[in-house]
Amino acid sequence: MSALQQRLDAPPIEDDLQDLRRRALRALMTHGFPDLKTEAWKYTSLRQLDKREAGQDSGSGENQASRPDLPFDATLVELRPGARLPEGVRLEPLTADHLNDIDYGGREDAFAWLNLARVKQPWCLKISRDTDRPLVLAQTTGEGFSGDRHSLLRIEVAEGVEATLIDWQHDQGAGLINQVQSVRLGPGSRLDHIVSRRGEDSAVIQRTQASVAARADYRFTVLDQGGRLHRHDVLVHLLAEGARGEIDGVALIDSQQHVDFHTTIEHTVGPTNSRETFRMLADGSGVGVFNGRIHIHRGADDSHSDLNTANLLLSDSARINTKPELEIYAEDVTASHGATIGQLEDAAMFYLRSRGIPATEAASLLKRGFAGEPLERIQDERIRAWLLDVLHAGLSSP
Amino acid sequence: MLSINNLHVSIDNKQILKGLDLEVGPGELHAVMGPNGSGKSTLGYALAGREGYDITEGSVTFDGNDLSEMEPEERAAAGLFLAFQYPVEIPGVNNAYFLRSALNAQRRARGEEEQDSMGFLKEVRASLKALKMDESLLKRAVNEGFSGGEKKRNEIVQMAVLKPKVAILDETDSGLDIDALKLVAEGINRLRDDARSFVVITHYQRLLDYLKPDQVHVLSKGRIVESGGEELSRRLEDEGYAFLEAAEA
Repeated sequence: MSALQQRLDAPPIEDDLQDLRRRALRALMTHGFPDLKTEAWKYTSLRQLDKREAGQDSGSGENQASRPDLPFDATLVELRPGARLPEGVRLEPLTADHLNDIDYGGREDAFAWLNLARVKQPWCLKISRDTDRPLVLAQTTGEGFSGDRHSLLRIEVAEGVEATLIDWQHDQGAGLINQVQSVRLGPGSRLDHIVSRRGEDSAVIQRTQASVAARADYRFTVLDQGGRLHRHDVLVHLLAEGARGEIDGVALIDSQQHVDFHTTIEHTVGPTNSRETFRMLADGSGVGVFNGRIHIHRGADDSHSDLNTANLLLSDSARINTKPELEIYAEDVTASHGATIGQLEDAAMFYLRSRGIPATEAASLLKRGFAGEPLERIQDERIRAWLLDVLHAGLSSP
Repeated sequence: MLSINNLHVSIDNKQILKGLDLEVGPGELHAVMGPNGSGKSTLGYALAGREGYDITEGSVTFDGNDLSEMEPEERAAAGLFLAFQYPVEIPGVNNAYFLRSALNAQRRARGEEEQDSMGFLKEVRASLKALKMDESLLKRAVNEGFSGGEKKRNEIVQMAVLKPKVAILDETDSGLDIDALKLVAEGINRLRDDARSFVVITHYQRLLDYLKPDQVHVLSKGRIVESGGEELSRRLEDEGYAFLEAAEA
């Protein structure tokens, strides 16, 4: 039996979620884990994970390697009972009643099923008032981490409320970090959801699904600085008139790293709007995968969408698979998509060097310019400046 | 200052410059004219060190240094500047950041102190104003969304800030309207002094009317075939390049 299957043998946790976990485990056993024949996983092999012996689940605090180092005031949200939170923000445990209607798909959603089968304590973060400081979730693992971590978090933003959530992830271990986030935006609300991820050898598998109500606005931004195996599925459902969803992402991928983003924006009614910009830069033997799907349903008339993916190959052995997908079944829709893969332009390199900028600095300037665009759209100036600094540091490091 | 002897340059094994000689002294302004395809832009690129422009024979010395031994950025730091015929767009990199990076990279290479941002901004603003360019250009990406004229004027702004010892201007006047042409010419004249030299590649007499070149050269088929004073450019304006063919026949 493979190491992945062995992860399922861990003793069951006995509490009021046990029936739910059993259901999830059955689903997982029925569907199995994806392989390269599974369409949504055709460029992402789990072999690395499958070969690896799982260590002890060390999900408790002993591997808290580092805390977010943010150059502005923010509120750290710790997922534990009795955590201190500002007024208007509450953290509640999710019970079986909350979770019974959860349903995922087949083999392609194996990790979401695994998450449900193994999660210890799912939480719900309720934001019912505008917060002046961003809320921060920190996910860190130390060098010794080799276990599994499965977290399930629901985030609810109440009607008319505006909030910023920073998802700060820093892995230094070699385990499995498997997260599911389910975001629910009430009518007229807005959430700026920002993910800053830096990986090492762990497999980081994440699913972020957002339901966006009337006139609500979900802005998802991610900076992924690469890791052994990263897979993030972002699913945005625009559920009512005036709902808006935006996805902006940058991934820096180096040798022996693999980063896969699968995004889907569902325009279920019209008029609804979406926009997406994604940039990947792959160096050494790094591999990037991007699949961006926009689905405008029948009847979602007068909807607009724009999807743009651009990619830079910085070495001969780097690979990027990129695919925009547009499916439109509605009337009076404006939708566009574009995809490019290229290398640093000789003409631009020469132009910069002819002005006195040495080749390595010129290359890093061009990479910055290329990668910065999705982050330039972050509305909060402090967060934008911070994330651009993180990006620039990532591009300057050898 | 700049001494070009028997220069042969080939691109993809095709010989473009075939024995070009040119001597530019300190403070001099030389105009290089010539029909399309005669090798004018090749000269500019070869001097600035563009990859693929191979010097197969002859030599170029600049301030006593052998240019062929130097990387493009080393040539720039030594004081050589090329104003591009087609300035390149650099998406996502703003003009101010780019220009300050360039200036400070040159200063570091020369062992000088970097310029602080206040001093830099003061200088670049003055140059922009002189060329009647909006300050908002500083915040825009390098040459991106610039009109043809703005791109050319932006080259002159860069030259003014970088203060090279020798500037090669490759058809900086083409695509400019009459007013912009005058601004560019004034921009060049402001930088002229006893030490700084210019090689101005152009098709038109109009720019030279403002610049009053010390010498005018005609480049044809990869060589300088005729040199003279300002009267030579007037003759070209009147007669075209037909006399070259007559002379060669």
